[in-house]
Amino acid sequence: MSKDPILKIENLTHVYSQGTPFELSALNGINLEIHRGEIIGVIGHTGSGKSTLIQHLNALIKPTTGKICLDGRDINESKESIKAARSKVGLVFQYPEYQLFEETVYKDIAFGPKNMKLAEDEIDVRVRASAKFVGIGEELLERSPFDLSGGQKRRIAIAGVIAMLPEVLVLDEPMAGLDPAGRRDIMENLMSYHTETGAAILIVTHSMEEAARYAKRMVVLDHGKVAMDGTPEEVFSRGRELRQMGLAVPEMTELADKLRDMGVPLEDTVYTVEQMLSALLKMERGREHA
Amino acid sequence: MLKDITLGQYFPGDTVVHRLDPRTKILMVLVYIVALFIAESFVSYAVMMLCLGLVIGISRIRLSTVLRGVKPILFVIILTALLNLFYSEGNVLVEFWIFRITDRGILNAIFMALRIIMLIMGTFMLTYTTSPIMLTYGIEKLLGPLKVFKVPVHELAMIMSMALRLIPTLIEETDKIMSAQKARGAEFDTGNIIQKAKALLPILVPLFISAFRRADELAVAMESRCYHGGEGRTRLNNLKMAARDYLTFAIGAVILAGVIVLAHFGL
Repeated sequence: MSKDPILKIENLTHVYSQGTPFELSALNGINLEIHRGEIIGVIGHTGSGKSTLIQHLNALIKPTTGKICLDGRDINESKESIKAARSKVGLVFQYPEYQLFEETVYKDIAFGPKNMKLAEDEIDVRVRASAKFVGIGEELLERSPFDLSGGQKRRIAIAGVIAMLPEVLVLDEPMAGLDPAGRRDIMENLMSYHTETGAAILIVTHSMEEAARYAKRMVVLDHGKVAMDGTPEEVFSRGRELRQMGLAVPEMTELADKLRDMGVPLEDTVYTVEQMLSALLKMERGREHA
Repeated sequence: MLKDITLGQYFPGDTVVHRLDPRTKILMVLVYIVALFIAESFVSYAVMMLCLGLVIGISRIRLSTVLRGVKPILFVIILTALLNLFYSEGNVLVEFWIFRITDRGILNAIFMALRIIMLIMGTFMLTYTTSPIMLTYGIEKLLGPLKVFKVPVHELAMIMSMALRLIPTLIEETDKIMSAQKARGAEFDTGNIIQKAKALLPILVPLFISAFRRADELAVAMESRCYHGGEGRTRLNNLKMAARDYLTFAIGAVILAGVIVLAHFGL
């Protein structure tokens, strides 16, 4: 892992419809560094600026002020740098299955690599590899994407972005509207992409539990600013602040807070069932010794 | 870019213009359009402009918002003005190559451009100040007599209100799909005309699919709320003409008559 961040966001602000009565400032001075190989959970209330932020990362939206650097180069510098950013920073939108359009799954996944003007055999390798990443079997490649189930469509859409081999993969609510099994599958697919390519992964989500389970680092946005940035432990230890921002803390953190309020001397930050269990056992053991 | 299209948008408010009966507003827009086509002089245009300005002023809708509606068809306006400028009979002022500018041509160009701009601004005022539900209810009531000739008035009104309602949604959806395809490296503004047309496919296919899906869901939602057409359907709030409506009719009649008289005297 190199020391230099792959993406560096400096003093980013964005104002929608500047100079009109509908003026709305969505981002107010965001500073963020994203390193290779990181898994980051981006959390924020509706309207906190999450979607605006991620669309800046591959130059879909231009900053009002501030800049985004990819490998030290401003991505909005020229047409080429924008193009480079589009392929190096893969962006998966909410409900990405609604962007499918080709006759076959294969062609749809190949859309991104084709736009990158890659050679046919390179495209073929990438399509098959990314289909495998998301658990889409070879037999489905010649089917129409519209005949498949919702979960399969979602995975094909994600494969379409993975096929561009992005170094930073950004996903906006990738699990929204899926059943628990589908959610787990997709997260595992993403993790295997992460371990095999070393790409940084940014997951925008509402679900604290999921963010906490997979992310090593969490960024909390509030009113267009970075309110917190740290490990899940650090972030969840500030449960009261999170609640003030209108965010739900994981159920186990909430339970631990309540137990502490009732006078149960729970230690540590607790946000998963396993942690709760070990914290309770630790306490129990401590009592036995006393 | 796409967001500039404000067609069918409604700006809620509580002004006299907003409270007018939708039937009154629809009829007044018709009167306004007729008057615009009769108007042929600076005086009558000034009168019409004053009316439009008054309505915009009373409704408290920003002038910039109303003007934004004109922007998408600016090209048509300019083209019409140019055609009128070059192809009108009258006293020749300037002549070069195949072009001939006459005094009549200049006047025609100005009036034509004004006419289209005011036409659009006026009709936009209707949709800006009338909620889609009221608008279609008004149309339904006005076309009511056609039911005698077995015209499905209620259904037509319903289709219209749904279409108006869906325009902003579809625009938003197009924006989203465009962003998603751009993120996959699609380019919409490069290449020749065939490449550009082909580049639209990744937008149009998902857009059509989602439009059909939406229509399907909407139909199911309507049916599950027992919608079965207009027959026997009653309203919570029935439309009732108030004093302000009759007053508006009177003002409209006076202005229309005034414009006709002015035109008669060639003013």
